[in-house]
Amino acid sequence: MRFVDEFRDPNLGRVVAGQILAAVEPGRHYKVMEVCGGHTHSIYKYGVDDLLPANVELVHGPGCPVCVIPMGRVDDGIALAHEPGVIFTCFGDMMRVPGSRGSLLEAKAAGADVRMVYSPLDALRIAKANPDREVVFYAIGFETTAPSTALTLMRAKAEGVPNFSVMCNHVTIVPPLRALLESPDLRLDGFIGPGHVCTVVGARPLRFIPAQYGKPVVVAGFEPLDILQAIHMILRQLAEGRCEVENQYTRVVPAEGNPRALEVMAQVFELRPHFEWRGLGFISQSGLKLSPAFADLDAEIRFGVPGVRVADPKACQCGEVLKGVIKPWECKVFGTACTPERPIGTCMVSSEGACAAYYNFGRFAREREVV
Amino acid sequence: MTSGCDDPFHCVTCSDEGVEMHVVAVDEDRGLALCAAPDGTRSSVEIALVGAVGPGDGLLVHAGTALTRLTEAPVP
Repeated sequence: MRFVDEFRDPNLGRVVAGQILAAVEPGRHYKVMEVCGGHTHSIYKYGVDDLLPANVELVHGPGCPVCVIPMGRVDDGIALAHEPGVIFTCFGDMMRVPGSRGSLLEAKAAGADVRMVYSPLDALRIAKANPDREVVFYAIGFETTAPSTALTLMRAKAEGVPNFSVMCNHVTIVPPLRALLESPDLRLDGFIGPGHVCTVVGARPLRFIPAQYGKPVVVAGFEPLDILQAIHMILRQLAEGRCEVENQYTRVVPAEGNPRALEVMAQVFELRPHFEWRGLGFISQSGLKLSPAFADLDAEIRFGVPGVRVADPKACQCGEVLKGVIKPWECKVFGTACTPERPIGTCMVSSEGACAAYYNFGRFAREREVV
Repeated sequence: MTSGCDDPFHCVTCSDEGVEMHVVAVDEDRGLALCAAPDGTRSSVEIALVGAVGPGDGLLVHAGTALTRLTEAPVP
């Protein structure tokens, strides 16, 4: 399959692994953060970290959209799902995220009409097919899914679908990265940039990382060779004393992103003053809400939500995992009280979450680290 | 890349996943395209963000919306 087979070629992988080995400085320990949960998933699925020298460590960042949703927002969603006459729609992974009193899946079992959709357009179709019911779409995700929600809201307005609304939990990638870089307990040498987010925003928003924090960034694709090549490009920048944003994923990511997507997002959304991230706390101007022009389609205004803040479970160390301070298996409840079947923390819910990826694929990597 | 729900480690329903698809047919009136993933799965895709497309074009799709064109369509 074109664009897949070439980027999973084991022989080429070994060649790039050799280049990485040649690029590392003996005695120096490198920590590289992959920002996106899609990268985390690929790294474990294909065993990318097993091809790296022992002194190159991958740190898993906050780029899984499900993992960063705080419990209070899940509770708010469940409260909406229990409103009489509401059909509550969301992406599949979101249904298993634990709130303080269960998940959306458990709410469905208790009688709420919760339906899984692949796209917000599917939710709009459900609204049109059920004019006597209120249909709420629980929107999550970074700049990759936000344009889809924006276009759906524009369609809903243009077509006059009065029984459709959105509970917006969209977030943006730059503020949490800045918060991480300001964190005193974090030491990183470089970043693997989020390839698909950059198809929308371009590479420019990441320039503050080399400019203000002196860390190289390489925007990368999601196949194993993409990730290996990106790591090599980061190590080469470090070896050559360069520090800039490079684009490894040129076959998909245009330098300027998608201006039309940015335009529709600007029409439909505006920044919240602050938004809570699981494990990271409140981060200024990191979340999106509907703009006044779309307030009539805002489920939080139409129904009102409790908006109660719920502290993360004490046993859960998702925050430290998201900041890369500890490895998933170093969490006290990893693999015992917290498993993909019964997650305590959100990092164990989504296949893109560091804990779930590590639980499913990372046993060998753990053995290597223990040795 | 996408994988089916028979894959216990990755479900296609997590929609924050980029899927490389090719256009099968375009419905210009509705601004949608029928697209196919490499595994043959077909779905309607919003094409408002990528301009005019035609059968055979490659698209990167997130949550049912095409975000960018691919330089070459993924071949099933």
